Amino acid sequence: MEEDEEVLDIQPRYSKEEQYRIFDKEFMPHIDSMYNFAFRLTNDEDDSNDLLQDTYLKAFRFINSFQEGTNAKAWLFRILKNSFINDYRKKSKEPSKVDYQEVETVYNSSEDAEYESTVDLRTESVQDMIGDEVAMALNGLPVDFRTVIILCDIEGFTYEEMAKILDIPIGTVRSRLHRARNLLKDKLRSYAKTMGYKELR
Amino acid sequence: MSNPQKVEVKKQHCENHQKCMEMIQAVLDGSASPDEIEHFKSHIDECLPCIEGYELEKSIKEGLKNKIERKCCPQKTVDLLKVKIGVSLFILGFVVVEIKIIQLIFQS
Ligand SMILES: [Zn+2]
Repeated sequence: MEEDEEVLDIQPRYSKEEQYRIFDKEFMPHIDSMYNFAFRLTNDEDDSNDLLQDTYLKAFRFINSFQEGTNAKAWLFRILKNSFINDYRKKSKEPSKVDYQEVETVYNSSEDAEYESTVDLRTESVQDMIGDEVAMALNGLPVDFRTVIILCDIEGFTYEEMAKILDIPIGTVRSRLHRARNLLKDKLRSYAKTMGYKELR
Repeated sequence: MSNPQKVEVKKQHCENHQKCMEMIQAVLDGSASPDEIEHFKSHIDECLPCIEGYELEKSIKEGLKNKIERKCCPQKTVDLLKVKIGVSLFILGFVVVEIKIIQLIFQS
């Protein structure tokens, strides 16, 4: 909440016609990407619809703090991510903060074993997987790790844009992505094993 | 890039694999610095774990981008949103008109 207010200060700048135009021309074209982001965060269609509408209404309410010609998509994604954390995360069945920290600690301690643990996941196994398997592996990640992968790999944001959307330094974006990908590889590896992809090769 | 003297001897073990992988990922993500791109180009051929790591990261990145279904916003949500925005514009306009009327009344 506080974060939002700090950035979204209200200065009457655009006329009503301009507000309508900006909303239509700059915000609406991103609605499918925004919905997809909401869906990948909540894993629920109703929640995605609510989160999307809240975000767009908020964007309209604070439209005067949007600088025309700047990155509207990143601006909108930041609002959606903040709304999700403030309003939706609490009621969802996401792993709690404790789980997340636990995952990070456990992961950090096994950093040295990185190469050894990735050798048995083969490129071909990943290429043979279907979308549902990849999506399930992604869904299995704690939300902070899932978020960086969605922003980077699915939406194609740069590290600089991600740093702004997530309010974290670029160095943290890099290391969080790296950890997220290692966790994702763990998930993919267990899918590959159960599916017997490895034996097929 | 394929230096004939180097190509035959590939390192079987990477001493700094975590750092290497962060760099490789930054290259694949299009967010690497010019120095990193340079370093990547001149060294990727030499290290087997890094070559394998690069191929694996690339296939996972492509899998995420191309295999996972992209959800589209339902049309009824778009319509509802437009109504809500339209209504808020209408109320805003109404308030402005109301204020002007009140001003007129008090001026007279
Ligand atoms: Zn290496």
